Amino acid sequence: MISPKHHTLSGKVVADAMRRGINRLAADSTVSSAISILIKYKIGGLLVTDEDQSPVGVVSKTNLVAAYYASLPLDSPLEYMMTSPPLFCTSDDPLERALEQMKEHQIYRIYVKDSESDLVVGALAYPDIVGMLYEFCSRCPKSAFRKDSVSEDIKRSTIGDCMAKDIKDVASNSLMHQVVEELSMHHIGAILVTDESGRGVGVISKTDLILAYNHGVPLDTPATEVMSAPVRSCSKDDMLEKAIRQMIFTDVHRLFVKDSASGEIIGVFSLTDAAMNKSGSCQACVVSRIQIAS
Amino acid sequence: MKIVARDIMDTGFHTLAPETPISEAVNIFKQASQEEGRRLFGMMVLDNNGDLVGMLSMYDILLFMRPKHVHIWGKMDDIDLTGIIDQGLDKAKSIRVGDIMSQEIVTIGPDTHKFLILDIMIKQHIRRLPVIEDGKILGIVYISDLFYDILDRFTEEDNQQ
Repeated sequence: MISPKHHTLSGKVVADAMRRGINRLAADSTVSSAISILIKYKIGGLLVTDEDQSPVGVVSKTNLVAAYYASLPLDSPLEYMMTSPPLFCTSDDPLERALEQMKEHQIYRIYVKDSESDLVVGALAYPDIVGMLYEFCSRCPKSAFRKDSVSEDIKRSTIGDCMAKDIKDVASNSLMHQVVEELSMHHIGAILVTDESGRGVGVISKTDLILAYNHGVPLDTPATEVMSAPVRSCSKDDMLEKAIRQMIFTDVHRLFVKDSASGEIIGVFSLTDAAMNKSGSCQACVVSRIQIAS
Repeated sequence: MKIVARDIMDTGFHTLAPETPISEAVNIFKQASQEEGRRLFGMMVLDNNGDLVGMLSMYDILLFMRPKHVHIWGKMDDIDLTGIIDQGLDKAKSIRVGDIMSQEIVTIGPDTHKFLILDIMIKQHIRRLPVIEDGKILGIVYISDLFYDILDRFTEEDNQQ
C-alpha cells in the first residue's frame, strides 16, 4: 500500500517540484544577455547577483517587456530594471505554502534556498508544478491514457471546466505599443490578435515581445508582423490531461479554447491555470489537486 | 616552439552576425567546417562594426532545441515522439543568433601563455577563446589545437627514444 503522502499534494515539499540549476547574471550584465538566457533556457526569469554572488534581484519577462515599452537600450545594465529584492522559500517548505506565497505576491516564480546551507538551489514555477502532477497522474492506474485503465465511470475533467473564460484580444491593426499596454494592464502573458470579424488570427506572448525587443522592432510596428500564427488551440471538450500533455510536449504555455460546435474561441487555458486550479485527467483524487481559492 | 596564443591561434576563422537566423547559422557552421577542414562547434559573433558581441556554440543551439519538460516525459514510456523535432524547428524560425548566443565572453591577448590558456579553459569550461589586441580580433584558440600542440610533444619524445 502506498502511503497517503504519495497521493496528495499536501505531503509534497518544494524540493519535489522545483527546477534545480538556476540561471543567474551579474547586476551589470546587459538587458540583451538576459533575453538570451530566458530564450535559450525557456524560462520566465533569472536571478541577478552582485559582485559577491549574492542574489539582489530578479529579471522576468514582465520586467523586459516594460523595458521594451520604455525603449531602454539593450546594453543597459540589469540593475536598472530588475525587481528587488528576490523572494525566497525554502526547499523543505510545504509546496502549498510556497504556492500561497507566489499567489500573494502575484509572481510566477519563486527562488528556493536550501534549508541548511541557505544557498539558492533552485526555482519553483507553475509549469514545473503541473509537470510534477502530470507525472503523478500518468502513473495512476485510473489514467485515461493507460490501456489498462481501471475505471470508465470516473468523471473526467475537461478544458471547459478549468479554462479562463475572460479572453483579451487586440485588433489586427494594433501597433506594438498598444499590445504591450493591453498585456500590462490585464497582467496576462499573451494576447489574441483578432481580425475585423473577431476571428483569432495570431497570438503575441511576452516571449514574442522580448524577441521583438532584442531584434530592435520599433513600438509602432503592426502587431501582425510580430504575432505567432496560427493560434494554437484545443477543444472545450478535450480532456484536461490531453491539453496539459500537448503543452508539456510542445513547449507551449497556453492553448486557446474553441467551442467544438462553432469553432469560435471561447477561452484560454495555460499551464498557470492548470497549476492554480487542477491537474490530471479525472476527479478520482481531488485531494491531490492544488486548491487555491481565486 | 609554440608558447603563446599568437602561435596557436587560428587566423582563418569564420564569424556570424547577430541578425543571422539560426537555421542559416547551422549552414554556416557546416560550410565553415568544410573550409577550415575541422569540425567547428562554436563561432564568434560580430556586429556591424566588426566588434565581438558574443559566441554561438552548438551547445547554445541544442539548449534551445531541448524540450523544456523533457525531464518529465523522458520518464514516460507511452509517448509519441512524432513531430516533436519538427515543432522545435518551427519555433526556431523566429530565433536569431543574437537571441541565444552567449554574451558573457572571455577573451585573451596574443601573448597569453598556452598554459594560462589551458587554465582558463579548464576553470571556465570554455573550449575556444577569441584573441583580441587593441579591440581587434586576431584569431581564436581552440582547445583541440592546444591539445594537439601538447600531444605532439609527447609523440616527438617517443620518436626520439
